[in-house]
Amino acid sequence: MRSFYAAMRRLLHAVLLGLLGAGIVHIAVLLLVPEFSERDAWSRLSMASDLYKMTRLDAEAGGAPVVKSVDPLFYATACRFDLGEGLVRVKAPGHVPFWSVSVYDRSGHNIYSFNDHTATGGVLDAVVLTPAQMIDVRKDLPEDLQGAIFVEAPIEEGIFVIRAFVPDSSWKPIVSRFFEQSSCELQDF
Amino acid sequence: MLKTAFLTLLSLAIAIIGGGGSVWYALKVQDGVGAIRIGQWTAFPDIGTPSADPYSKARVAREGVLALGRAEGLSFVAERDTGGAELKRECTYTIEGGFPTARFWTLYAADQSLSVVETGKSRLAALQSYGVVRQPDNSVIISAGHHPMPGNWLLTDGFGRMYFVLTFYDTPIASSTGLSDVSLPRIVKVGCDA
Repeated sequence: MRSFYAAMRRLLHAVLLGLLGAGIVHIAVLLLVPEFSERDAWSRLSMASDLYKMTRLDAEAGGAPVVKSVDPLFYATACRFDLGEGLVRVKAPGHVPFWSVSVYDRSGHNIYSFNDHTATGGVLDAVVLTPAQMIDVRKDLPEDLQGAIFVEAPIEEGIFVIRAFVPDSSWKPIVSRFFEQSSCELQDF
Repeated sequence: MLKTAFLTLLSLAIAIIGGGGSVWYALKVQDGVGAIRIGQWTAFPDIGTPSADPYSKARVAREGVLALGRAEGLSFVAERDTGGAELKRECTYTIEGGFPTARFWTLYAADQSLSVVETGKSRLAALQSYGVVRQPDNSVIISAGHHPMPGNWLLTDGFGRMYFVLTFYDTPIASSTGLSDVSLPRIVKVGCDA
């Protein structure tokens, strides 16, 4: 009888130890998922296209959507950039009912966002740069950057996403053209 | 000796299976940490921001989501009606009430993965605020179901679970202070197809 109790106590000990370990594993796995995920937005985009290349996120452009663009009444396009190589300038001439922009870091966190009410005359013209590059640019602001929105982001690699509202199907060609004319370029400075 | 090895293996098995499984489960459930509930609607204002909790961060990485920024908009998801029952694609619902301030909003019927319900027709299972008929007091009544209905009709199709996703664009409620006294429309079940 006594040996039975001893065995039970050891079993209970092992189970409690296991549960404690489960807690540690839970925290470790949770914190490691973002580091090792191969399904995050950056990885999916890099499979679809190069840096500084606008890629449509919605299914309308043909094929399965690269990154889940949630709202069916919206079109979205994205480009990846690396601020280590220089500043990136994104432009999209033309007018659509509503557009909004988000800048994400490498792991998909939203760093900065703005919409067409923020822009001069509702035209999308933005420059993404690091605080250090901002100091350089401030010293001597080039003429053609004067109307641009400056997004200071303390990151290197990132994703620039433009979303545009498609109120009904008659707007589809207009919004598609807006995206086709958009550009995402490494800016020499 | 053998008993010690067995107990060690048992501990390790509980630790690894329990730890991994609990993370998987926590990331799967819709209702997570950092959720804000208003009536039947749930929003995650912090998701996708650097200040999000670790669960939201893991979910963002696993699903490859690019969440809407604060200046863009805020999404609410409903999975139950006012009676507390799960939303079904075969049922008819009325969504009625006032909508908070925003430049515009969109509403769509979604499946489990929160993608829009496939209707098999040219009409999307989505509505937007520029295209709805309003009541004299500026509130909106929307009928959601398989069969055409007068007024604002949100087409749905198929069978199984359904979610409603309501997104407000360019809205002051996206800043956290605005969320306290927001009221959202109610979802009332009208009936179900047998």
